[in-house]
Amino acid sequence: MERPIQKPIGTPVEELDTPTMVVDLTALEKNIETVHGFFRNRKAKLRPYVGTHRCPALAHMQLAAGGTVGGVAVGTVGQAEAFADNGIADLMVTTEIVGPPKIERVCALARRAKVTVVVDSASNVDELAKAAKGHGVILRAAVDVHTRLNGAGVEPGRPAVNLAKRVAKAKGLEFVGFTSYEGPILEKTPAKLAAESRKWIQQVLDTREMAEKAGLDVQTVVVGGTHNYEVAGAMKGVTEVPAGAYALLEERYRPYRKQLKPAASVLCTVTSTPEPGTAIADAGMKSCGNDTGLPGARNVAGATVRSLSAEHTNISMAEAKTSLKVGDKVWLTPWEVGVTANLYDYINAIRKGKLEAIFEVTARGRYR
Amino acid sequence: MENYKPVIGTPVKQLDTPCLLLDLDRLEYNFKVMADTYRDTPVKLRAHMKNVKSPLLAYMQMRTGGTVGGVCCAKVAEAEVMVEGGINDILIPNQVVTKDKIARLCALAKRTSITVCFDSTQNLRDLSAGAVAAGVTLGVAIEVNTSMNRAGIRGVEEGVALAKLARKLPGISFKGVMSHQSIGGMPDNETRVLEGRRYIQMCLDVKSAVEKAGIPVELVSTGETWTYDTAAKMPGVTEVEGGTYALMSTFMDYMDDFKYAGLLLGTVISTPRPGVAIGDTGMRALGAMCTYPEAWPAMDNVPGVVVAELLEEQAVLKSKGPMPLRVGDKYLVRLGQQDLTVNRYDHYIGVRKGTVEAVWDIPARGCHN
Repeated sequence: MERPIQKPIGTPVEELDTPTMVVDLTALEKNIETVHGFFRNRKAKLRPYVGTHRCPALAHMQLAAGGTVGGVAVGTVGQAEAFADNGIADLMVTTEIVGPPKIERVCALARRAKVTVVVDSASNVDELAKAAKGHGVILRAAVDVHTRLNGAGVEPGRPAVNLAKRVAKAKGLEFVGFTSYEGPILEKTPAKLAAESRKWIQQVLDTREMAEKAGLDVQTVVVGGTHNYEVAGAMKGVTEVPAGAYALLEERYRPYRKQLKPAASVLCTVTSTPEPGTAIADAGMKSCGNDTGLPGARNVAGATVRSLSAEHTNISMAEAKTSLKVGDKVWLTPWEVGVTANLYDYINAIRKGKLEAIFEVTARGRYR
Repeated sequence: MENYKPVIGTPVKQLDTPCLLLDLDRLEYNFKVMADTYRDTPVKLRAHMKNVKSPLLAYMQMRTGGTVGGVCCAKVAEAEVMVEGGINDILIPNQVVTKDKIARLCALAKRTSITVCFDSTQNLRDLSAGAVAAGVTLGVAIEVNTSMNRAGIRGVEEGVALAKLARKLPGISFKGVMSHQSIGGMPDNETRVLEGRRYIQMCLDVKSAVEKAGIPVELVSTGETWTYDTAAKMPGVTEVEGGTYALMSTFMDYMDDFKYAGLLLGTVISTPRPGVAIGDTGMRALGAMCTYPEAWPAMDNVPGVVVAELLEEQAVLKSKGPMPLRVGDKYLVRLGQQDLTVNRYDHYIGVRKGTVEAVWDIPARGCHN
């Protein structure tokens, strides 16, 4: 478990023990207002994907802001358990749930929360239905449709509709609709972003239409994300957008989502300046992560992160406008907040440079 | 936190996934390779806890043999966990710089032997001041840059100057020199040995220069898993900081003296297209390094199948021929860089011959402070 030196509320941020994950509440609240504000007066609603930050305190802030379906989306059953245990009563698990141990758990969870699962195969539908019936619970089930990504999902159109029919017939399951994750589509031009997003989402909406013609009641279509929430949320037939990264934003989305501000950082300390042009700091792959990309260095103009090793940041100062000395603080913006939050047990929440709260990252490590 | 503690005796096939397994036969084999290597040499192993994050695993290596009787830790928080676990000889081959952290380090030095590495006069003065204020003595060693261009002094003269200053300052005891080495790609054995020698010699050159200045050097802590045999044969080296060897990483696949003892157990959740299976060992559960493609996970027990892509919570598995995996099948994955994966779990599930034998905490998970 993480063992930071916990500082009293009110501590100036530069005195926090490092490396540490910091969330700026002012930026977070602004991001929430931007995205939730968009959904407040629309038919489509937000279902915040909270598997990104894994933090119930943040999830409750999102739900309190309005514009949502009143529930969240998560990546795994374990994450759903963590958020349910912390007061959230409507959860959608966006990964297929296979095998007895996990199906037992999701059925138990369905006794105390409204749970939606996703399915992409007949055998999994049968397995889930049998267990749900045995437990005397109803699992809401959406058909996972394969569009742009290489992951799970049944093909759109006829195969998806056939599976939907099987779900609708299965005792123990309630067919609710279709879902697909087509992102992230990273496009700066609004017209291109809209065209590319619509191309993939339309496959799911066409599937919906085909299912309705076949007599199925389709309550929901869950598509889109931070990359295109305004496009997905405006398409007729889309009911829920499971965006997650918008709340804290991240380096990856920064050039494409100008209406949102980075709210999460890893605060680190320079531990060595071994030669001109190089500064070494104390955040590495284990405390910032570079699974898919390198963090940005925010507070030192011109500095760039050259690489991360397990425990160190290697910062290039070649183009930097100022210098760094041992003991100085550097603010890193994670490439992917979902990677970084999963490394911490605590988040320091700050406002105007002072520590305001310490949040637990309860769903950290909930991979199963 | 990660919260899976299955019942002892559970068959591996019935485990919930993904979860982090230790193949105990393979782990004990790796410990024995190290014990055999260092048993009759003056050089000993100082196992690196950044890799296993558990005092128990440190004790298992110590009991098997070949060690200095202490460990190294990358961070102060990691060192605290080891001291609380009863280990009383700690080397931190890293810099500890802030006032808070130096105070925390000095608190440990009241109860145990602590040596920390430095590469600047300012840091040395701060360590000295902290130690004096706490009324303790900190061991210090110079970090020498050899191949990684990270921290560490860049020249021999700088080392001599730092050693001289270290001898003068109160509260600290100068011990010697330390270096880390890295090598890219999958080197052949000759390249591996020659490069290892060349880098470690750079560290030994600083030792010689410091000794020529009349300052005794008792510690030369260098070498790691890929140089474990090379370093053992270099006169002057006193200890080797091996860590990866215990659980193994695919980026060191060429070190075939060691077995893959750390494995992620996964379940196939979908077979959506021909030749493709989707597993539940995604990027979050495994970890990855965008800048180092060699550190990529590999299947342990499914010939012909590769981990083609990692999504957030899904692994895309591909087969050239027909996909042998079915929905519900279990599979084992070798770790790309094992310490990144270990750092994402709070428990090891120790298995032997298909059955859970032990469930152990990973108390230093997340100890990056």
